[in-house]
Amino acid sequence: MTVTIVGLLVNGLFLGSLYGLIGLGLAFAFGVMRVVNVAHGEFVILAAFIGVTLVPYNPASPLLLVPVVAAIMFMVGWSLQAFLLDRVVGKDQMPALLITFGLSVALRNVFVEIWGADSKSIVVGALKFSSIEVLGIRLGELPMLTFAVAVALFVGLQILLSKTSLGRVIRATADDAETVQLFGVGPRRIYAISMGLAVSASAVAGVLFAMRSSFNPFSGVERLLIAFEVVIIGGVGSLWGALLGGFVLGVSQLVGLYFAPNSGLLYPHLVFFAILMFAPYGISGQRQ
Amino acid sequence: MRYSFRLLRPPEVVVLAVAAAALFLGPAWIDIGYLRLIAEILFVFTMAQMWNLLAGYVGLVSFGHQAFVGIGAYTLFFVSNSLGLSPFVCVPLAGLGCVLTAALLSPFFFRLRDAYFSIAMWVFAEVVRIIVSQSAALGSVYGMPLKTARQIDRIWFTWGCYWWSVGLALASVVVTIVLLRSRVGLGLIAIRENDLAAKSLGINVWSAKLVAFLISSLGSGMAGAGFYMASFHVDPGGAFDVNWVVIMLFIVLLGGLGTVEGPVVGTAVYFILRGFLADTGNWYLIGMGVVAALSVILAPKGIWGALSHRGIELVRLRRNPMLSQRR
Repeated sequence: MTVTIVGLLVNGLFLGSLYGLIGLGLAFAFGVMRVVNVAHGEFVILAAFIGVTLVPYNPASPLLLVPVVAAIMFMVGWSLQAFLLDRVVGKDQMPALLITFGLSVALRNVFVEIWGADSKSIVVGALKFSSIEVLGIRLGELPMLTFAVAVALFVGLQILLSKTSLGRVIRATADDAETVQLFGVGPRRIYAISMGLAVSASAVAGVLFAMRSSFNPFSGVERLLIAFEVVIIGGVGSLWGALLGGFVLGVSQLVGLYFAPNSGLLYPHLVFFAILMFAPYGISGQRQ
Repeated sequence: MRYSFRLLRPPEVVVLAVAAAALFLGPAWIDIGYLRLIAEILFVFTMAQMWNLLAGYVGLVSFGHQAFVGIGAYTLFFVSNSLGLSPFVCVPLAGLGCVLTAALLSPFFFRLRDAYFSIAMWVFAEVVRIIVSQSAALGSVYGMPLKTARQIDRIWFTWGCYWWSVGLALASVVVTIVLLRSRVGLGLIAIRENDLAAKSLGINVWSAKLVAFLISSLGSGMAGAGFYMASFHVDPGGAFDVNWVVIMLFIVLLGGLGTVEGPVVGTAVYFILRGFLADTGNWYLIGMGVVAALSVILAPKGIWGALSHRGIELVRLRRNPMLSQRR
């Protein structure tokens, strides 16, 4: 019994790290541009579809797909901000909200048109089933790898934001987009780069996710709702809060599925509502 | 407190009365096949108008209004089937179910601002969908038929659905106009523009938002109940589909957010486009998404907004301080 509980917790953390990564992209875009990207889930799915499409051209480890897809999705995010959202960026969040909502509807159906409505997943061969046993708990190698990649990305982004000059400019732009212009920074360029980073971080999660479990053109909604819950639970604008929020949701999903196998995302959603009632500003308690 | 603005003006009363009379007498002069189509159009129009009330005047953009469509429909089906009541009697009960739901949600959801409210509503709709899909009493994923409809004559049933759709559509217009011209409505518009400033002027932000939220849930729920009543069957995948919000949003954005006439124009455009493009399957949905997104950038005030900018106005909701002094 103890082994089962620990197994659920550990695997919940593995899954949660991916949720955290998906939430991170949403939180980052909100933190810098004040844009809530409703099409976020669709970008996660787009990354997965690109990954599936690239599999036949990739002779080596499937993990090599991750940086390639991340680079492509950086350009997608960059273009989204530069060509669409820049026109409405400002105090009022509503236009960007409505635009990305429309975009998400269009993207979902474009996916169906290109890749069909069937469920797909990225084939990783033997890696999918290999596992090692630690203290009586079976740990899949793939979930462990995805966990490592996710945590590495969190650390990488933290370093980028706190230690590099690009990170300083991004943080300054997030704080006051008007004042940074006095220092020769074009906020539009920074916005486009930030959206590129936000989308590509979540794209990594999308590809890793597609290796673990199947997805279809309509899975974006689930990804978006999870991302959003991660952000609320973790506290808006908190990098580590996002990881923590992901952990909470990942564990509650696996525990929920253990007791009610057909419940899908019901239990993460319920945990989210419970947290919303008792801690409306998230676990980390930051008010934004 | 004397209102400087009449709630309904004589020309509007005349127009509404004529429209009501012509529509209620519909079965006398409209073919029964068209009555079904008109009922569907008016139910969807009511939902759009109710979504607009919340998004356009209070600034609460709900991505989870499909929850009210579904809860309304399921309340009607469940109560009517289990008590053997006529479905027509159950439409108000469906609305009541939605109002109670909205009242329970409001203490938690009103703490969330902007996009967080939007998506929390969506999460709520998903939760209800999953619970309904797993509930054997509600027919799980397969949904349930409206058994009591079989006891009613087919033609009478169509007429009944049609009359409900006419009643709801007219009520949604009248309630929106009256609400916005009332003291509460003035508060709502102040909240949309700047809720902090509104609060400092002594407007009770919470109760004003609550009034709009309850009315919006009531109207959407009754329209959802009517829509599924007219199609004899309800299932969780359809009733809790986010595409309901896509349709409401498309209609309102294209017609004109925050205008009473906007949803009328938008509904007409939507059903005309649907008539031409329904065969194209996916491309029709892709087009709907793209048009909604582009209209925010290119025509943020929608079709009616562009017209009223040129001085065309049917329902005047703006207030003129000089005029009110003269009265």
